[in-house]
Amino acid sequence: MAGFRDATAFAPATNLQLLPLRFERLRADRYFVSNIVGEGLLLNREQLDRVVSLDLSPGDGLYERAFEKLLIAARGQRSQLQLLAMRLRSRMAFLQQPTALHIFVVTLRCEHSCPYCQVSRRSVDRERFDMSEDTAICALRIALAAPAPTIKIEFQGGEPLLNFPLIQQIVEAARREAPDGKKLEFVIASNLALLTDEVLDFCRVNSILLSTSLDGPGDLHNRNRPRPGGNSHQLAVEGIRRAQTALGRDRVGALMTTTEASLDRVEDIIDEYLRLDLDGIFLRPLSPYGFAVKTKQFDKYGGQDWLKFYERGLRYILEVNKNGRHFPEFYASLLLQRLLTDVPIGYVDLRSPAGIGLGALVYNYDGRVFASDEGRMLAEMGDRSFELGDVAKDDYTSLILSDKLIGLIGGSLAQCSPECASCAFEPHCGSDPVYHHATQADPVGIKPLSEFCARQKAVLRLLIELLEDSPEDAAVLRHWIAQ
Amino acid sequence: MPDIIVEFGASQSIGALREAAYRLIGEASCLIDTVDARHLCRLTPKKALAGEADEALRARFLDLVTDENLREKVAAETAGVRDVILALAFGALAREREDSESS
Repeated sequence: MAGFRDATAFAPATNLQLLPLRFERLRADRYFVSNIVGEGLLLNREQLDRVVSLDLSPGDGLYERAFEKLLIAARGQRSQLQLLAMRLRSRMAFLQQPTALHIFVVTLRCEHSCPYCQVSRRSVDRERFDMSEDTAICALRIALAAPAPTIKIEFQGGEPLLNFPLIQQIVEAARREAPDGKKLEFVIASNLALLTDEVLDFCRVNSILLSTSLDGPGDLHNRNRPRPGGNSHQLAVEGIRRAQTALGRDRVGALMTTTEASLDRVEDIIDEYLRLDLDGIFLRPLSPYGFAVKTKQFDKYGGQDWLKFYERGLRYILEVNKNGRHFPEFYASLLLQRLLTDVPIGYVDLRSPAGIGLGALVYNYDGRVFASDEGRMLAEMGDRSFELGDVAKDDYTSLILSDKLIGLIGGSLAQCSPECASCAFEPHCGSDPVYHHATQADPVGIKPLSEFCARQKAVLRLLIELLEDSPEDAAVLRHWIAQ
Repeated sequence: MPDIIVEFGASQSIGALREAAYRLIGEASCLIDTVDARHLCRLTPKKALAGEADEALRARFLDLVTDENLREKVAAETAGVRDVILALAFGALAREREDSESS
């Protein structure tokens, strides 16, 4: 016969067990302490030592906080271990559904001549630098063979609208040939200078998203992004407005790139995005690829300069939100999703195992296949380390199971890398072997010298301290991921 | 530019010293010698240090060693339960694959 258990069965556990945890010193006497899935809290040294030595008593506050964050458990109690296992499995679920993103470089030609161009665009020779129909069909066959239930096909360049007829063919062929149940999404990454009503009609009919570049107000944008006529900003703004009208406000997004000229202008840049009614901003540093290296743009400011720019921008954006306008900063949103939820994210740079190949494949205009967009950027600089094969000879399986890709992914696991393995931020970070190969000639990277690592740590630290110390800012940040 | 010598007794884990030295790479190179059951850490700063900066570097290294000692302790005490969590998380995946391959 069922009955009530004795009251002692509900007493707080006193026979405790320490669970796996990691910590990072944020300041002299302030530590971020996280459990095995990265959820954590801020403690001082005395509190951290008490947790590790299990010097805790029910009712002392620290006992309850450590229990809630799964830093400790009742000895012999299996449910907390099962909960951590379930959460860990959820966070790694992206591994079960490779490869969701497929980038088609339909042409390398571009009418812009941006000195920071990361893809080393060309200005001439349609025959040589446009993707052929045969190449596109072979690439599509590979993309549609990926196990991911939703396949996103992104058209890039150069300027992809210079080869718009091929985009139309690929979209139509994909719709025709996709296996039953496979969902398709399409994105055109364009500077919008060549946007026509025909393009907009096609995008509307096929639910294609537009992603463009907007570096800020006219003077800054045109300085960063020269083209004949000097009217890149005017054309981008007109294109954004036309796309918002024709497709909907949420069907066009913009990305900015930080140059040396941007560093003192973060408020101006954000104001420009607000003026154009864009749905948020991604404050991005320059990447060490293509013309950004060749023209020495990448060396014109350091990691600390960008971090100051970022923090000033984030604080300004938080004020905008507190004044009633929902306007997220997307890099912060990505990291917050990692910090505050167990939902796996699709962002290929913030994964370990790395997102190269498993998260994205890139089909170059000439048929070569790369493990990431940055990998093809390196190839344009003569470095073929991330070239996996050719659409004419390979299929999805041969690319994904290639010794080269397995070696790169297996050799760069953050969970096993020096410093990363014991870093409290590791569950929220990624391994990014392409960046470390490009900057340190080592896909693992020497993390104490890595600007990627410094940037990740600094932004995570900023977000964690805002969440802990500033209730108003924390409410805004939590609202971003609740949307 | 003079080196900074930091000395530890035999009870200090050399693994923790190595981890701390790695985390210090951006600021100083560290050579670890073990002599007569003592560990001598020779820190060579990456750039010239002025004023009390050498003391600050020594203190930073000691902080890193302190943190690494605690990390070693945590890792040792939680290795078993960590394996259990990983098995619970991913063992099921292996079983699913075995089941699907045998059916």
